[in-house]
Amino acid sequence: MEIADLMGVEGVVANLRATSKKQALQALVAQAAKLTGLNERTLFDVLLERERLGTTGVGRGVAIPHGKLRELKRLHGLFTRLEQPVPFDAVDDEPVDLIFLLLAPESAGADHLKALARVSRLLRDRAITQRLRSAEDAAALYAILAETPATKAA
Amino acid sequence: MHEVDALILVGGGLVLLSILAGTLSSRIGAPLLLVFLLLGMLAGEDGPGGLLFSDFDLAYLIGTLALAVILFDGGLRTPFEAIRLAVWPALSLATLGVLVTAAIVAAGAVLLLDFSWPPALLLGAIVSSTDAAAVFLLLHQRGTELRRRLAATLEVESGANDPMAVFLTVGLAELIRAGGGDPWVLAGHFAQAMALGGGVGLIAGFALAQAISRLELAPGLYPVFCAAAALLTFGAAQSVGASGFLAVYLAGLVAGNQRLRARQLIRRFHDGAAWTAQIVMFVMLGLLVTPRALVPELGTGVVIALLLIFIARPLAALIALAPFRFSLEERLFVAWVGLRGAVSIYLAIVPVLWGLLDGQHYFQIAFVVVLSSLLLQGWSVPIVARWLGVEAIAAPEPDNADRVGLDLPAQLDRDFMVYHLREGAPALTRELVQLRLPHRARILAVLRDNAAVPLTAVGQLQAEDYVLTLAPPEQVFQLDRLFTPEARRWFGAEASLGLGFPFAADRSLGEVTAALGLEGIEADPTESLERYVTARLGERPLLGEHVPFGPVDLRVAGLADGRVARIVVDLEPRWGGRRLLGPLRRALRWLRR
Repeated sequence: MEIADLMGVEGVVANLRATSKKQALQALVAQAAKLTGLNERTLFDVLLERERLGTTGVGRGVAIPHGKLRELKRLHGLFTRLEQPVPFDAVDDEPVDLIFLLLAPESAGADHLKALARVSRLLRDRAITQRLRSAEDAAALYAILAETPATKAA
Repeated sequence: MHEVDALILVGGGLVLLSILAGTLSSRIGAPLLLVFLLLGMLAGEDGPGGLLFSDFDLAYLIGTLALAVILFDGGLRTPFEAIRLAVWPALSLATLGVLVTAAIVAAGAVLLLDFSWPPALLLGAIVSSTDAAAVFLLLHQRGTELRRRLAATLEVESGANDPMAVFLTVGLAELIRAGGGDPWVLAGHFAQAMALGGGVGLIAGFALAQAISRLELAPGLYPVFCAAAALLTFGAAQSVGASGFLAVYLAGLVAGNQRLRARQLIRRFHDGAAWTAQIVMFVMLGLLVTPRALVPELGTGVVIALLLIFIARPLAALIALAPFRFSLEERLFVAWVGLRGAVSIYLAIVPVLWGLLDGQHYFQIAFVVVLSSLLLQGWSVPIVARWLGVEAIAAPEPDNADRVGLDLPAQLDRDFMVYHLREGAPALTRELVQLRLPHRARILAVLRDNAAVPLTAVGQLQAEDYVLTLAPPEQVFQLDRLFTPEARRWFGAEASLGLGFPFAADRSLGEVTAALGLEGIEADPTESLERYVTARLGERPLLGEHVPFGPVDLRVAGLADGRVARIVVDLEPRWGGRRLLGPLRRALRWLRR
């Protein structure tokens, strides 16, 4: 599974302004609602429900909030870089500035996990996160996200 | 030169050389014991050293002493916790495992090498015991720690299988010398020796602990008292027909787990004694062998070694561990690390002393087997551990310069420690009052510039401060993490282990699978993460230990009071061998049905 299968360049928001985890999620949800045509409130509730089970702040300034929605037709990815890192209750207590939102249809099955694994592998790579943090604009961010081949070997 | 002087000169020189060669070997990663053995051979009759040593009686005496010391020390340093974790699998390996190993090696020798059964069985018994010291030395050299239950199993196994192998070897040698006999009589003797040995060992251990806490001695005498008591235990057990090796091992185990006076002194002394015993034993066995004589036996020895390494040990390990809960990776690791050590060569002296026909052959074959095992398995152990993903991250031992511990009277359940703070200690970044101490630990005083500073006036701790602390022994490592710079590395490791999707350990498997979209995993969705993990790793897992859960790994990422508090789900377990083992695991599951 490639990142390009999950999102186009319109799914990237560079330099989002937010001062809290809630604000950051809300801003992303607003963008997601525009792209998918879903209700903002529904989206937001699904994500909050997931955060209650355990934070999606996976460490080193990266968060990968995700959720399943019955109304969705296919997997959707959205990415944002925050202007200022915000506290996110992350696993390493570091504030978060790179957020990848992954939305999946209820019927996604194994694809949801595959996409999640793909994104978390991508954002675990320090070289990639470093480039994401210094990229110019949305187009440059998208290019970095989409360029990496899915697996190293096979 | 006088003969005595020459002997002392050579003896001291050899031990020194061994130690120096040992430090060199850890740089190139060679198995330490192999180096000692080779050094002995080089010093011997065919090497540049040219020393002639072929006194099997003396070698047997020294070997027996050394083994008794090594086993006593092994018992002394094995915490009861390890026994609790691993006693059944380890005993199964040490009894059933030894029998299966010996039987398969014997069968192979009969089929492939035209041995007749009695000598083949004797040979099997000789090479049937493992040497965990070798394994742990190798892992420590590389800074690897094994998962706790796995480490405990291997460690207890190697202590417990020596008495078993010794008994089997001596028993079989007796049978052969007597020209046959009733194997059931042997079995009866075995039961008697083990039961008696166990009894003597337990009693001696308790008596030793009692004696030490009641006697007022010069501090330096406590460890000597212990050592003498160990030898007495061994001799007493042997003279009543019990297994002396089992008795010293148990005595060490029991005494080591009581709150002994002068515990630190005794530990250090016996650490040194065990090292000396290892060096002396290996160098001596290296001297004893005649390398030239090994050449004709090379073929036989290598065949036996390959048989042992690739068939007998793996089968024995898989059979002996079948009833116990281990992951496939752990089983494979146990199957691979059946390292043979000094005990096998030492036991090969028995046929010579008992005057069996071709007694020297056993010795030479066993020597080749041990050499091959050290070369092949010894070198690969750390690599295999990493490949199978069975290592854990353990708290590093602080430098002695950073922490000085003092012995308190035994009945006080507290350790008194002084930390000398250096740059990089995590405690330096925080105000003294904000330090999160374990709840039964206390800071007694802080010394700065040679003066005691009132605790309320300390403010932030500084480098070069001395911190005097009091804590229960089991909490010492938590203080190490605050006050020593090594802890930084540890925190770093801990942090990188934590990356991934975290869940509180009391969450249910169902909640986790729903959150991450995991499907098709056979597990009870109402079971908590903590239960799932501890059922597979033991009650008190270490940070970083992980268990497979369908296609992902559950990794222990947070502990609170020794219990699992946080689990991180690793969506892409980094271990590459998993895919390879997939078919094997499925085959195993199919077989079980």
